[in-house]
Amino acid sequence: MERRKYPLYFSFPALSVFLLFFIAPTLIGVYYSFTDWNVNADSISFIGFDNYKALFGEPRLGKALSNTLIFAAAVTLLQNAVGLGLALLMNEAIRMRNLFRTIFFMPYVIAPIVIGYVFRAIYHPEHGIVNEALGWIGLGSLGQDWLNDPKWALFSIIATDIWRVAGFAMVVYLAGLQFIPKDLTESASIDGASYWRRFRHIVFPLLAASFTVNVLLSVIGSMKVFEMVMVLTDGGPGYTTEVFYTYIRSTFSMGQMGYSTAINLVLFVLVTVVGVPVLMALKKREVEM
Amino acid sequence: MEHPGRKTFVSAIVFLGALVILVPFYMILVNSFKGIRESALFGMGLPSSWNFDNYKEVFDKGNILRGFKNSFLISGLVVVCVTLFASMAAFVIQRRDDRFMRSTYLLFILGLIVPVSIVPTIRLMGELHIRGTYFSLIMYYTAVLLPFAVFLLVGFMKQIPRELDEAALLEGCGYFRLYWRIILPLLVTVLITVTIVVMVSVWNDFFGPFYLMTDSTKWTIVLQIFNFVSLYNTNWGIVFAFMVIVIAPILLVYLLLQRYIIDGLTAGSVKG
Repeated sequence: MERRKYPLYFSFPALSVFLLFFIAPTLIGVYYSFTDWNVNADSISFIGFDNYKALFGEPRLGKALSNTLIFAAAVTLLQNAVGLGLALLMNEAIRMRNLFRTIFFMPYVIAPIVIGYVFRAIYHPEHGIVNEALGWIGLGSLGQDWLNDPKWALFSIIATDIWRVAGFAMVVYLAGLQFIPKDLTESASIDGASYWRRFRHIVFPLLAASFTVNVLLSVIGSMKVFEMVMVLTDGGPGYTTEVFYTYIRSTFSMGQMGYSTAINLVLFVLVTVVGVPVLMALKKREVEM
Repeated sequence: MEHPGRKTFVSAIVFLGALVILVPFYMILVNSFKGIRESALFGMGLPSSWNFDNYKEVFDKGNILRGFKNSFLISGLVVVCVTLFASMAAFVIQRRDDRFMRSTYLLFILGLIVPVSIVPTIRLMGELHIRGTYFSLIMYYTAVLLPFAVFLLVGFMKQIPRELDEAALLEGCGYFRLYWRIILPLLVTVLITVTIVVMVSVWNDFFGPFYLMTDSTKWTIVLQIFNFVSLYNTNWGIVFAFMVIVIAPILLVYLLLQRYIIDGLTAGSVKG
């Protein structure tokens, strides 16, 4: 049967919605980022690179850039470390494994904004559970004003996101572990291989697919973080936890549309630069299938 | 050769981890029954007196039902659009496999990673005279979620043998019937995955309605929370009660369908 005969128009609904509501705004955005579009002004005029000149002159962009990258790197690393650790623990013949799996995955189905509000209470300097719990185990002196101390604010946001997404990584790893034949690790164990060596040389290589997926999803997802930061610190104190989307939101609410579009475009470039290797990996995985 | 204490140790760590997940949920629940002063202490103890006024207050002022209705309407319609459009597209993208379809596929894959340009999107909705409508939000979500659905479905289409198409076409079956009667039923398991991912993403999303919905009667439940907390942020008891009302139905559905939901949300990534 000839391939050509499959009707092209089947792809039109998806393609037109995608082109109109995703690609078009992206392209229009390129134009507007070179204008002085502002809600308080009647006309929009072309101003060349002025937005970008102003933007790169602001230390705030540097903060947004470094915080977004730190957040993405930390979440990717920790989500995978915690997720893998939990999966390995759960893979030991533990009772009620399914119950624990359900519990660990639970935060993932709750809206991030709700989790943000809950953690605002949890991090409360006087009555929050974190400081209370530190007090119970005699480490009360380690208590902090987690969200208002510039030293701890970003860390606290990262920890919250780990709480939210670690269970997701765990489930993906747990699924990968099911495919590793038991006799493989058992025979290695009989041959005297230590736990670490078995993990390093047998288990981990066989988890490569799960690892790729988890890393890809964390990297891409965490660079687009928004409501979690907005609710917990709104980029503060000062700009110490500013990320791209909170920066965009604050210039947007001041009516500086052209300027905020320029920030969005910088994020676009950043995600693309980091995302291209990711894209390659996705394509490669597909070839292997 | 297994250390006897080992299993206990492993269980203890897992148990502690589970506690870290559960304690915040418990904290919301128990404090939602406390008065304004007691709830501000975020204590773990039971309320000194059980106070149901918080819930009454939320039901009176929170427009809960309207929020749920909007969330349900919007996410349901996005599910319909995404599953239908993506499966039709994946069908011809994978089967034709020519240059045009390959570039289309690549374009969709690009959409998997790049962020949306939100301010120009608002402008575009204005130009099209659909700003603030349900339709605009549904189209926005459809556009954002199509790449993932297309990616997943194209991968799955490869497993459906072409011989099936050939046999059907030889029998005189048209392409639309082929898609509707043969291909679509074979895609059902993936479409369930797509449905779960779309439902969860749209239901929990804040970004979209925050920028695109100006009319409070069309707010989703998540935007309703945001607005409610800005008004009542001095009374944690009421805020917690609102959260319980919002989280409870989701957790109920999650606990009932947990196998499907967990498998769906993760399979979306694993099987890719």
